[in-house]
Amino acid sequence: MGHKEALPREETIEFVMSCWDDEAGAFGAHPDHDAHLHSTLSAIQILLMQNALDRIDIHRVVKFILSLHQPSGVFAGDSFGETDTRFLYCAVSALSLLGQLHLLDGEAKERTVNYIVRCRNFDGGFGSVVGAESHAAQVFVCVAALAILDRLDAVDEETLGWWLCERQLPNGGLNGRPEKLEDVCYSFWVLSAMSILDKIPWIDVDKLIGFILSAQDLEGGGIADRPGDMADVFHTLFGVAGLSLLGYPGLQDLDPVYCMPADLIEKKGLRKPWKALERRT
Amino acid sequence: MHGVKRIRQSAQVLEAKRLREKAKLDDYLSLTQDVLSRKKSRDWSEEALQLTSRLLQVNPEFYTIWNYRRNIFLNGIFPRSSLEEINDLITKDLSSTMTALKAHPKVYWIWNHRRWCLENTPNGPGAPGEADADSWRKTNWDRELFVVEKLLDADPRNFHAWNYRRYVLASMPVPRSAKSELAYTCRKIEANISNFSAWHQRSKVLTSLGESSGSVPSQYLEEEFNLLRNAMYTDPSDQSVWIYHRWLMGAGDDKKFLENEIEAIQELLDEQPDSKWCMESIIHYKRLLLKKHPNEVNTKTLLLDCKNLLEQLEILDPARHQRYQDIGQSFAGWRV
Repeated sequence: MGHKEALPREETIEFVMSCWDDEAGAFGAHPDHDAHLHSTLSAIQILLMQNALDRIDIHRVVKFILSLHQPSGVFAGDSFGETDTRFLYCAVSALSLLGQLHLLDGEAKERTVNYIVRCRNFDGGFGSVVGAESHAAQVFVCVAALAILDRLDAVDEETLGWWLCERQLPNGGLNGRPEKLEDVCYSFWVLSAMSILDKIPWIDVDKLIGFILSAQDLEGGGIADRPGDMADVFHTLFGVAGLSLLGYPGLQDLDPVYCMPADLIEKKGLRKPWKALERRT
Repeated sequence: MHGVKRIRQSAQVLEAKRLREKAKLDDYLSLTQDVLSRKKSRDWSEEALQLTSRLLQVNPEFYTIWNYRRNIFLNGIFPRSSLEEINDLITKDLSSTMTALKAHPKVYWIWNHRRWCLENTPNGPGAPGEADADSWRKTNWDRELFVVEKLLDADPRNFHAWNYRRYVLASMPVPRSAKSELAYTCRKIEANISNFSAWHQRSKVLTSLGESSGSVPSQYLEEEFNLLRNAMYTDPSDQSVWIYHRWLMGAGDDKKFLENEIEAIQELLDEQPDSKWCMESIIHYKRLLLKKHPNEVNTKTLLLDCKNLLEQLEILDPARHQRYQDIGQSFAGWRV
């Protein structure tokens, strides 16, 4: 929204650093919480946006990430071994943002891509593990990971594009899979994948914008999962991200692959193919 | 916030609420501090274990505490326990996570802990080679399928439960047959045609029957198309059926197949002239005819049919009109 100075830089950095788990060599969700891939990616994203990546012990973090790479190609979230394509994305994105993606090369890269391919379903979508049902959030992580790894050839664009555009419900909102309720956060999960596949025009843009805006709390501020519910930071992020991809006026460009400011990703030389709608004035 | 309505409350009401919650919050924060400091000092005692139970009851999403609990077992309690005692503790945790799952069926960390319990069930009680060498594990695993079926009855679309079901089926000491799983998915679909999760599971079971070829063995196809035919007529507006049908049709190599299905769907469309899915499917299958069998079909007629249906779809389903236009554009290269 063009207000990156709104949060105090030093305090933000200090909080992130206080989540460092020195035993594991990565970040937890909160001080004294165990390290996890998910919170490690978040820490990297925040520090990158605060221009403070130099505070990270990159060597140790990379070691942590690579240690979670499984023989099957997926990544575990932590040493307890839960595997999920969400963590695969966290690993690939984190390595990429740290400029260390080259460490995932040759056989290691092949088996990572192969795992994603094995998660591809009859509807063109992707699940959390091999055999799992397609879900928009998993579609995002798989498609975005493939984009980072330059392997979008593994996507059945026509079938997946169709499955994705059918997420739009009569009220304009998007759901995460067939017969489920609409939710503002799918404005990001579904839309980002569609942006990478250049299929955003396959939905009714104005109706989706209307839906997201109607989920706002016009007194207290923020955006909720659907109209009438309580706003929270999570849905505010994904609502604004969705609006940016839809060309809503006054917003900065968002890179859907990384869910980060497009100019930042561009400057780091990490931009991959994606197409958002033209920014309206 | 999922499931939390926004309500405007007066400053007084809010203050009263804050005071009521303050006591709960203070309790929670001091319990958290106690547990985390014990964790830091590597306290693997029984007392610490009890405290993690309390904390996880209040907040089952506190992943670090699940980790700590497992470490207490591994580092403190298991090393000084007999195999039978370990099995008892594991069985107790399986029972308490079942209670937790009933209240929180979508929390990843609870499902994870369940898996850990199963995987850490000791061998026994008998020695290797004896009849009951594996009884503890068999008992625990057999119970799992029952557990997951209960949760899927409560919410047939819970993907955590479906994933867990697949995990149990793959890991059970005595495996179930693919046929019995097909029957299970059939029951779920009969209960609710819109159960995309059940159709999805069906697609996986059928693919596994095709083994290395990855395609569905022909002896199962007739039954599948019968099932689909019934489902289509029962609820032509359900997308699961049509998405599954498209997958089953495959790449369109069998011309007769394509033509038969197109004809059947056309009959349904005649009865339900506003059916978007009928139109969408007919277009797709006619495209396959054009693509795969261009010399054996009347291309002019097929192209006109598709153009006609696309125009109707743009009116019937305006939200997705751009897709229908793009499909129309893809015909532009055809010379008639």
